[in-house]
Amino acid sequence: MIKKLIIIFSFFILSIPAFDEIVYEFEDSLQEKRFYSLISEIRCPKCTSGSIASSDAPVSRDLKNKVYELVLAGSSDEEIKTYVSERFGNFSDYRPALEGTNYFLWFGPFIFFSLMLAMFFLKRRI
Amino acid sequence: MNQFLRFLIIFLPILIFVFFAKVLLVDEDIKFSNFESKSFPEFQLNDLNGNPIQAKSLNGIKLINVWASWCITCLVEHPFLTKLSDTNIQIIGLNYKDSDTKAIAWLQKHGNPYLFSIYDPRGDLAFDLGVTGAPESYLIFDNKVLAHIQGEMNQTKWDNIFLPLIKKARQGS
Repeated sequence: MIKKLIIIFSFFILSIPAFDEIVYEFEDSLQEKRFYSLISEIRCPKCTSGSIASSDAPVSRDLKNKVYELVLAGSSDEEIKTYVSERFGNFSDYRPALEGTNYFLWFGPFIFFSLMLAMFFLKRRI
Repeated sequence: MNQFLRFLIIFLPILIFVFFAKVLLVDEDIKFSNFESKSFPEFQLNDLNGNPIQAKSLNGIKLINVWASWCITCLVEHPFLTKLSDTNIQIIGLNYKDSDTKAIAWLQKHGNPYLFSIYDPRGDLAFDLGVTGAPESYLIFDNKVLAHIQGEMNQTKWDNIFLPLIKKARQGS
């Protein structure tokens, strides 16, 4: 019995957790905060829906490393997002810029909702 | 007011219908392609044999195909690329995150449809091009990227996306 237990527990003791994750080190906490908010706002180009923070696809790893480099180099959030979207398209930004057809994207649902509401209330009054 | 309401009741569903029809009826091949025109990024890389690549070798109409020896789908599109290379289309390979020995062995085994292959083991040029994996293909015309597709290249995509653009580029020049 004890022998069995020793064998079982030796599995736990001898197994070393594999830390595959890259550890990013920053000069200050602001950089760190910016890095983590940026990688959660950049879409993984290889995934159906997910940020590069949530993805371990090779291209997401490259993107995270690039964002890390740029944050350390002192680029602004805007510059980093432009850098990424120049390469991977507007699709890469989870918060699309307020311009062009994106107005429809941002305000379309509200316009639609108000039209529906208007219809609903007008109909009741008749 | 009543008339306006009646108009809305008819008009809104039509609007929704047209919107979804437009979204759904676009050819998938075209929907997932990127036609944003941008210039080909600058790079300093060698080909698979270790010779530096001259910028002028990318002039004219070229198909850039991202491939790797570890890439399964690349094997699927390989016969089509081989067929294509027999026509007057010049294909340049972009060997992506691969080792040169494996890549060269792969080409020896399966045949080489490429004029030459750019050796990009870290994926630097690929990153600047916006490559998300392999295979992907780019149509370039005098250092300008005209189209970008992700996934396998095949006859349908070639006919629907690339041929019209090539015709247009040839007419323009």
